[in-house]
Amino acid sequence: MPQLEATPDLDFHSETYKDAYSRINAIVIEGEREAHDNYQRLAELLPDNRDNLLGLAKMENRHKKGFEACGKNLKVTPDMEFAQEFFSKLHNNFQVAAAEGKIVTCLLIQSLIIECFAIAAYNIYIPVADDFARKITEGVVKDEYLHLNFGEEWLKANFEASKAELEEANRQNLPLVWTMLNQVETDASVLAMEREALVEDFMIQYGEALSNIGFTTRDIMRMSAYGLSAA
Amino acid sequence: MFGLIGHLTSLEHAQSVARELGYPEYADQGLDFWCSAPPQIVDTIKVTSATGQKIEGQYVESCFLPEMLASRRIKAATRKIINAMAHAQKHGINITALGGFSSIIFENFNLQQIQQVRNVKLEFERFTTGNTHTAYILCRQVEQASKQVGIDLSTATIAVCGATGDIGSAICRWLDARTDAAELLLIARDQERLQALQAELGRGKIMGLEEALPQADIIVWVASMPKGVEIDPTVLKQPCLLIDGGYPKNLGTKVQHPGVHVLNGGIVEHSLDIDWRIMSIVNMDVPARQLFACFAESMLLEFEKLYTNFSWGRNRITVEKMDQIGQASVKHGFRPLLI
Repeated sequence: MPQLEATPDLDFHSETYKDAYSRINAIVIEGEREAHDNYQRLAELLPDNRDNLLGLAKMENRHKKGFEACGKNLKVTPDMEFAQEFFSKLHNNFQVAAAEGKIVTCLLIQSLIIECFAIAAYNIYIPVADDFARKITEGVVKDEYLHLNFGEEWLKANFEASKAELEEANRQNLPLVWTMLNQVETDASVLAMEREALVEDFMIQYGEALSNIGFTTRDIMRMSAYGLSAA
Repeated sequence: MFGLIGHLTSLEHAQSVARELGYPEYADQGLDFWCSAPPQIVDTIKVTSATGQKIEGQYVESCFLPEMLASRRIKAATRKIINAMAHAQKHGINITALGGFSSIIFENFNLQQIQQVRNVKLEFERFTTGNTHTAYILCRQVEQASKQVGIDLSTATIAVCGATGDIGSAICRWLDARTDAAELLLIARDQERLQALQAELGRGKIMGLEEALPQADIIVWVASMPKGVEIDPTVLKQPCLLIDGGYPKNLGTKVQHPGVHVLNGGIVEHSLDIDWRIMSIVNMDVPARQLFACFAESMLLEFEKLYTNFSWGRNRITVEKMDQIGQASVKHGFRPLLI
């Protein structure tokens, strides 16, 4: 039986690590910033859930500050321009859906896709993070489960009416996630985060969310793998 | 609720099953995709005991493939098992058997160190390797199939290949304590473990495979390896009973020789049909009735409401525990596969 390879020792202060971190850290900061804005926008679209959503928005803002501190701790300047470009298509899809009042699409993008991706990435990052970032990320990931839960509960309560729009939104947006993942594959591997582990954790989390909402195993296998092979 | 964690036997097999079950997203994918694929509950199983008791279970496909070991994708292999266990636990399954390579990977890579999986803390008491029942069934196969082929145990030499493993050592203990087998040949790679086993048994000859095979009336093969081994049937005794209890089973197709009887080891037949689809996929001869004894162990534990990791760790299987699971096995209508 072959042996399990040991995790390589990471030098958090090497130029290579810091260079990769400048982009990954920026993505996380930008992701949290956009999540904050998205939940504020959702609060306008769902006035009955306004307080709850504004509370989630506040948490995202706190996460953003936490991750800014992680960058400062390693003396890394986040490449925010790269991060904005990285999110631009998904961000644009959210804006268009919000302008059309498509709440289901907005929730799929922010509360399912982005939250599941964040949870997957944070869970994969935690065991290979520096001590400072590990503590921050452990705190953040607990909150993100709550955010995912908001989307799940709302979509579950409105499942039949939302199903077709969810399928369509999945087709439009999930392939973007795979492309985004490919874009950061090299940087993530410098941080000892493997692409296949990220994809697997995302599919587990996203599949669970779709299951909680009401989709069948068959739907889940089809939807959560959509566009992966083409990416 | 009981559970079974299983996997398919090769990438090609996985692709054809995915196609058959109507999952085109999975059907045309290569190994990279399977290395990222999440576990899924793909079947619900209903079992009725010979006593009339009915239970329900779920089949968790881990998406592990043996090619992951062969191509050194070890991290992917270990993730599959841990994630499938977390999936079973999240779905409230009380007792789940780790089938095929699952328990081998769990033991070999010390996965008990990984207890926290995302937001799930694995409760190991909800899982069993199923090895106690497998060892019991293999022993019953030795006892019963030897009679079928005209071998008398009291004069027979039995070679146990993989003798120091969890199942192999249990078989040696049983054959020593519960049968009048004349001679035991102990075959394994690790000399230290072999000597410990020999000391524990107070008998048995330590021997290399090539030296042992021509001397054996019965060969119990319980070594598991990603690739099979070649056995030259012309060097074997006639008659010879070869019980293939390793995983995957591959001796049957390779060893075809007059006087050499090959039996699929560690397989049970249930006396009533089991309502499931999955066994037709894992290539059993009688899919509604035949299954791996390790899977049947989780059913037995569910029938008996013994929610505990009955088989766990290495070399802890006692003859008394084999008796206990054996009695449950008989009571609920399972019997060893024979020739």
